Formats: sequence, structure tokens, C-alpha cells
Amino acid sequence: MRSLAGRDVFFDSEGFLVDPSQWSEEMAEQLAREIGISFLEETHWRVIHFIRDYYLQNGRAPLHRELKKGSGMPLMEIEGLFPGGIKMGARLLAGLPNPRTCGM
Amino acid sequence: MKKVRLTINGRSQQFIIDPKRVLLDLLREDLQLTGAKQSCDRKGQCGACTVIVNNKAVRSCLSKVVDLEGAEVITVEGLGTPQNPHLIQEAFVLSGAIQCGFCTPAMIMAAKALLDENPNPSVEEIKAALRRILCRCTGYKKIIEAVQLAGRFLRKEITPDQVRPNPNGPKIGVNHPRPSAILKACGVAEFSADIKVEGAAELAVVHSPQAHARIRSIHTATAEKMPGIIGIMTAKDIKGTNRLKLVVADRPVLCDTTVRYIGDPVAAVLAETREQAVAAAQAIEVAYEPLPVIKSPTEGLAKDAIQIHSDQPNLCYSQPQIRGDAEAALAQSAFVVETDFSTQMNHQAPLEPEACVSYLEEGDEGEEPTLVVIGRSINIHVHLGMLQGALGYENMRYEEAYTGGQFGIKIDITSEGLAGAAALHFRRPVRYIPSLTESMYLSPKRHPFEMKFRLGADRQGKLTALAMDYVVDNGAYLSAGRAMVFRALYMLSGSYYIPAVKALGRLVYTNNPWGAAARGAGPPQANFALESAMDMLAEKIGMDPLEFRLINSLKPGQPKSTGRVVEQWPFPELGEAIRPHYNRAKKEAEDFNRKGGPIRRGVGLGTHAFGISMSGDSANVAVELDPDGGLAVFAAAADPGEGNDSMFIQIAAHLMDLPMSKIRLVTRSTDRTTATGPAAGSRMTYMVGGAMVDGIQKLKSAMAEARATTYDQLKAAGKPTRYMGTKKNQDAAAIIDPTTGLGPSFESQVHSIQMAEVEVNTQTGDVKVVKVTTAVDAGPVINPQNLEGQLEGGVDMGIGYALREEYVAGQTKDWISFRFPTIATACEMEHIIRETPRVRGTLGATGVGEMTMVTTAPAVTNAIFNACGARVRHLPAIPAKVLATLGKS
Repeated sequence: MRSLAGRDVFFDSEGFLVDPSQWSEEMAEQLAREIGISFLEETHWRVIHFIRDYYLQNGRAPLHRELKKGSGMPLMEIEGLFPGGIKMGARLLAGLPNPRTCGM
Repeated sequence: MKKVRLTINGRSQQFIIDPKRVLLDLLREDLQLTGAKQSCDRKGQCGACTVIVNNKAVRSCLSKVVDLEGAEVITVEGLGTPQNPHLIQEAFVLSGAIQCGFCTPAMIMAAKALLDENPNPSVEEIKAALRRILCRCTGYKKIIEAVQLAGRFLRKEITPDQVRPNPNGPKIGVNHPRPSAILKACGVAEFSADIKVEGAAELAVVHSPQAHARIRSIHTATAEKMPGIIGIMTAKDIKGTNRLKLVVADRPVLCDTTVRYIGDPVAAVLAETREQAVAAAQAIEVAYEPLPVIKSPTEGLAKDAIQIHSDQPNLCYSQPQIRGDAEAALAQSAFVVETDFSTQMNHQAPLEPEACVSYLEEGDEGEEPTLVVIGRSINIHVHLGMLQGALGYENMRYEEAYTGGQFGIKIDITSEGLAGAAALHFRRPVRYIPSLTESMYLSPKRHPFEMKFRLGADRQGKLTALAMDYVVDNGAYLSAGRAMVFRALYMLSGSYYIPAVKALGRLVYTNNPWGAAARGAGPPQANFALESAMDMLAEKIGMDPLEFRLINSLKPGQPKSTGRVVEQWPFPELGEAIRPHYNRAKKEAEDFNRKGGPIRRGVGLGTHAFGISMSGDSANVAVELDPDGGLAVFAAAADPGEGNDSMFIQIAAHLMDLPMSKIRLVTRSTDRTTATGPAAGSRMTYMVGGAMVDGIQKLKSAMAEARATTYDQLKAAGKPTRYMGTKKNQDAAAIIDPTTGLGPSFESQVHSIQMAEVEVNTQTGDVKVVKVTTAVDAGPVINPQNLEGQLEGGVDMGIGYALREEYVAGQTKDWISFRFPTIATACEMEHIIRETPRVRGTLGATGVGEMTMVTTAPAVTNAIFNACGARVRHLPAIPAKVLATLGKS
């Protein structure tokens, strides 16, 4: 647990939020700085919001093909936007959980 | 070739056929009659292939087609259909005799052969007729009851309609048939090997015969020239990480430089037929350079031990638990038991092999195809992610087929990586149907535990302290190994209040088969030590074992070993509920033993408080109002036999006030479901069912707000029709403190006290379990048959664990060498069910799938001691160990 964007937040060993409902845009900005993105541009937000909205609607992360279609951006471009790429970067900033849930 | 004419399900057909072919293969492969199953590599050990030939139940894997000229064959498909089932099929459905369903068609055919000849068989006659068919899920009890019910139907004493619950009546607490049961009874539920894939090639795999070695070379030239070969795949052909990472990335799909246990996959062959693939796999020559083999945790922890994984120490995880001053408390205790216990490596033994199908599905124009993997996973989203990384391919979908039992074995994946890699590499649809021996090689095992144990009590018999140092043989790959260590700590104090605790669990890499989840996953091992020591301490104090347990029960407001204070603890009530049965059993044993003779009867107890919902756990389920007013439920909620379909449908119909036929479950595909975690940890009812309840409440609130009673009205009000339900454990932190082992743990508990009555032959060491009585409180019961089915199957598995089963690498290769429990060893069972609603339970309910076997092994070994004074501390309690403890080795 650590304090982030003004609240106590639990992260797992790979840096994912344990509880996705704790996410906020302010938190995403702070996490972004920690992984080397000094400022989240509109393209970052487009990806983050799409991933997050998709998750809240479907209960899972979007597949790459769904992300490409939904964001209207080429996958290579999205991969390049986030250190760690889509899976370990964009999803992490969007506050998605690491899908391991049995505490293993 | 030879020509044979057979009548199959009423249709006369001629077959010009290879004299070596057996009836099972003709039925499954040529006629697509896949109701008859294959589990034991056609050795006649499992009976899953049983059909009727000339009015007799016959194992079709042993019957050569050429020997059947003129025979009349009936398969399960010839009995009835889901729309028009046979009375025996209805009896199996209505008796709750169907869990995973893999053995069901065979059981039904054997029952038909019996009932055609003898419409009113005794239990012993039923057991004799079904003796060649194995079942892992049910403990055989409800199968026997199903045959009895079928007899009543056939004798016209009663009709199915008189037994079937009113579908329009109450939904909760009622034995509404599982939606999937009729499909399984009629043989139309498709397990992985039943799925027809046009143009599919067959995969065979080369497994390492070495426990630890470097791969020097793999010579494939001879194999490549063999008939039917499409190609050979080695590690270099896998484009991703080639590591299946559940927790750490240590397990290769195909070994690249090193093999680390007997059975590690080294190469794979794709061919037009399975026989061709297997023949070519045998022709592949692998040159190994042997490395020192770490055979045990002790060897793994030795100073000069070779490191099995270059990037991780052999001691791959350790976790203490310290509360109070256990050493001081033990030193001051009036009574102390100090001894050691061990439990064996075991196979979870699902009947279905580790079968898997994979193919590339064409996408839209310009898009890469989707790699589809169909298999037995209980956690399809996590496993999909593992496959994406290992194979280096993102566009994938995992689909759960009907699954022939799993009992924890599918917390991790095996054949899926191989089949998926082959489908990608060769661009061909692939079927990988491993043999039983191969399935045993591939799959993870129950971890063996070695435990040094001390337990103290004061003069009044109150527990003072527990100390345990335990070492867990992790085998070659981590998988879910850490969870076995910390789950044992989470539940270390079992049903009791123990003021001081000092424990240390260590997980060690060895070159043995790798371990993962197995029903209970950690607690069955640790609780064997605790419950054995409880009996030993009671003996030392001179107290009755039941009284001793009850005076030490935890109470609301007191902490478990993790320090977490409990708010509910309905264990003493279970003790009182079982007391009359205990007194009856003790008296019967005394009367029996008074007669003298070498066979002695004993009574033993085992208890546990099994944790439900681990800290940090969460689940989500989407629900959607359908245009016809029904409800769709979306969640990757695997159902390998426990009855999750019943749970969802009965609860949803109850809350929505809908007929059960209006509830639509969407659970099997990663494309369409929420990622809601594994069907493991007995969490499905409590967590996933709870998330569904939350989703339904959100939907109902929206409908109330919009004053809508229909889909159209809800839409017209501008409200969504789909809602995401969630359930979260109260503790967001997932782990206990690494230095003290204190902190959050399970949010609720299912309580159990089990009593075994055994007869021990003191001359041979043979133990017969006569009866097991289980008192359980899992909260309000949603479907009584499903709960009883879990109890009965778990008890049978627990008895196997206690007395017989063991997986010995390189020696255990089939169901005979595994010593699979049969209907002959099935014992009488009785259940006492209490239903204390839990504060955060799903309609007050918890879960029951694992608890039921956690208490069985100590109950049995305590009963052995009670019978004859033999204290077996090292499982399994095979006759030689019983004799040895009696000084008769």
C-alpha cells in the first residue's frame, strides 16, 4: 500500500491497482510520471479512457484488435506511447487489475 | 481388412475395418458417437467407454470390432435425447448423480444392462454391475441412488414428474436439475476430445525421461521422414517467451536448454493421425547431459545444491507466522505433543485427459486470424494472457469445453501451450489428446508436505500454543506453489483458538513433478498434522476427542492464527449436532470390538474451518436484461462439475422472479465474458455469485427508478440494460505481513466436523472405511443435491488420499498404479447440514467444494488409531504402514 493522489492505494507486485475503483485521472498522471511519461497527451488519454471504459462495460481488458478499432490508432503507435506497451503500461495507467485474483 | 456387420443404435451397417480396431474408436472416430469416453489409454481401467453389446455392458476399448459380427450395440445416444430422454437418463439427472459428466454415459449404459435383467437390484448388485467404471466427482453414492430411482421409474412405481421439483416453485434450497445434466446424460455435452475439427492434425509430444539434464541435441531426421508427418516443433519454433507464467516465468512450453523433471516436454510432432504422431515422437532422439538431481527439499536446501533455476534460489518462497511467544507457552504447557507428519505427492485424477484443440479462425479482411484454444481451463482470461505471452501472439480466444473433472489441476495450463504453438507454427488445426500417462506427466500435482509439529495444552485442556516448521516440495516449476504455503498459514489454527503460534513454511524447488492447486490446496496437508496432533493431545490429557475439540473452539471476537478476529464461528453447534452420531458410533465400535478377533473397529474425528474469499479477492459479473424479459449473465465462471450453472440460474431466477428457463448463462469464451477469477478456492458461490447478485440489484434499481417492468420500458427511459456487478473482499491488501504472517486472511469460513468409522485388519493392515458422517455449515443451501454431491465426492477423494493414492514420478502411469478409488471401496455417508447465514455471504451462503476433503484424512487416521492403536503420521496409510506402526512390519 502507498499513498497516491491523496489516498491510500493498494498495488500488486507488478504495480497494478488491486481495486480498479480507486482509480482517478490524477492517479494516472502520477503513475505516468513514475513510468517515464512526463505529461499525458490527448492520445494517451484517448487510449486510457477507451481501455477503462471498455473494462467497466465488459469486465475485461480489450483485445488489441478491439483497442485498435476503438481508439482509431495503429497498435504500433499505442505500443510506443506507453513504456511497458499496452499490457504493462496503458492498462496499468488505466487502473485495470492484474487479472490474477486468487492471491497467488 | 475384414468385413463386419453390426447394428448400432438400431441401424444395421457394414464396416470394412482393420482387425486391430476397437469398438470405442469406431464409435467415436467413424460414427461421431462421442458419448462413450476414453480415459485410460484403452486399458479397460476406467470403464468410461462402456456401451451395451448384445444386452451386456461392455468396455468398448477392449472389444475388437471384428469379433462383433452380427452384434447389437447400444450407446448412450441410442437411449434418448435431451428432448426425449430415457427414464434412466432422467433418473441420473434427478438424483444429482451427474457432476462433470465424463463417466455418466458409461454409468447409464451399465445401469441399463443391469436393470434390463434385474429391475430391482440391491445396492450390492448395483455395485457389482458398475464396478468397472470409475468416477472421481461423486463418491458413487448418488450414482447408486440414481440406479435405484431408475428401477422405480422402470417398475412404474413412480414417474419423473413426481420427483422433479416444480420449476415454478421456490428456486432456493430446491434440487432443481442442473441445466447441463441432461446434456451429459444423453452424451451430447462436448468435451475437448469430442469436438470435431475439420482437417485437424494430431499432436504428440516427446517428454523427458530425465529428471534434470541439459539438452545437448534433438535429432529429428528419422522422424521427419515417417509417414503422415506434417512437421516437428522444438523450442526455437515458439515465437513468444516460451514461458507459461502464472506467477513467475519459469516453465517452458517446450524445454530449450534444460529439462527439470521426468515428463518435461521437449519436442512435439504434428501428423495426420495420432498413431503417426506418436510413432514419430518415439523416433526423435534427444541427447541429454545429466545434471545432479534434487530429489527432495532437503537436498534442494543443501549448501552445495545445484540451483535448478539460474535466476532463482531453490528456496523459492518462505513465510513465517508468529503470534505471541509460542516457545514460552510450550515450555509452560502441562501437555505437549511433539512429532512429525508428512503427506504424499498426489495426482488430482480427473478422468478426462489433458485434451485440447486449437485452430486459426479467419478474421475480417486485413486482420490477422484469431488463434482459438479450446480446453479445460478454470481461469480462461488469465490463461489466455499466459498463452499470449508464451506464444507471442495477441489475437487469441480461449473457450472452455465441457470439462471432465479438474480438482485444482487446471489452475495452470499445459496442453494448451503445445496445441496453440503447433496451430500457429504449422498453420493447421490441431488436436492434442494426450494419453493418461502423458496427462500425468504434463499436469501439476498436489504438493507433498513435511511437517515438524508441536501442540500444547494446559491442565484444563485448553490449547496454549502451536509450532510448525514445514517444508513443501515445489517440484520443478513454481506455478501456484506460494499459495500452498500461505494458504496453510491462513487456516493454520483450523477450528480453534490457539493463543500463540510460531510457524515457518518453506517452498523448495526440486526435480520432482511440479505442484499446483489440488482440492483444498495447502490446508489438507497442514490440517492433517493439526487434527492428528489434536487427537494425540486429547489422548495425553485423557479427554474425549470431541470434548477436547469443542472446548477449544474459536469464538466470535477471537483471532485466528493470522490475528484476524472473526465475527461468526458456528462450529460448536456442529459439534453438538454430531454428538449423538459420535456416541452411537463409539458404542457400535465397542460392541464390535468386544467380539474379539483381528478386525478392530474405530471412530475418528477431523474438523476444519475452511477459508472462503481470500483477502484481495474480487469478482465481477455483467448482467443484461434480454429483449424477451429474460436475463443474461456474463462471467468466465468455469463449471468443471461442481454445479455453478445451478447456482447462477437458481439465484438469478429467484432474485428476478423469472422462470429458470429465462436465465441465459454466457460463461465459456474470453470474447464474451468478464474476467472474474478462477473457479478455485471454493470462491464461486461467495465471490462470483455475490457479484451477480450485485449486478442484479443494480439492474433492479434502475428498473425501479425508471418505473420499468420490461426491456422496452427500460430502453424507452434511456437506461442501460447491462450492469456490472462486483464483489470485493473487505481487505484490499492481498497478502499477510512477510515477517509475522499476520494480517488479513479469509473473510468467511465454511465449518465442518467429520467422523470416520473404520475397520482395521490388524493382521494384514487393511483398512476399510465403513461410514463417514459429515456435519457442515456452509450457510443457506441453494441446491441440496449439489452440496451433498460435493460432500460425497470430497469424502471419497479424502479417503483415497488417506489410504491409497500416491503419485510416484516414473512409476504412477495409469489408474491401477494410482490406486483410483472404485465403487467397491465407496462407503456409507451421512450428512448433517446446518445453515447459519453469513454476514457477507451470497444470500448468506459460502462455498463447500474443498472443505469436504480437508477433514477426511485425519478423521480416517484418527479412527485407525482408535481401532487398533496404530498412529499413522505419514500418508497414505497403506497396509504396510499400519502394520509397521503396530510393530508388525
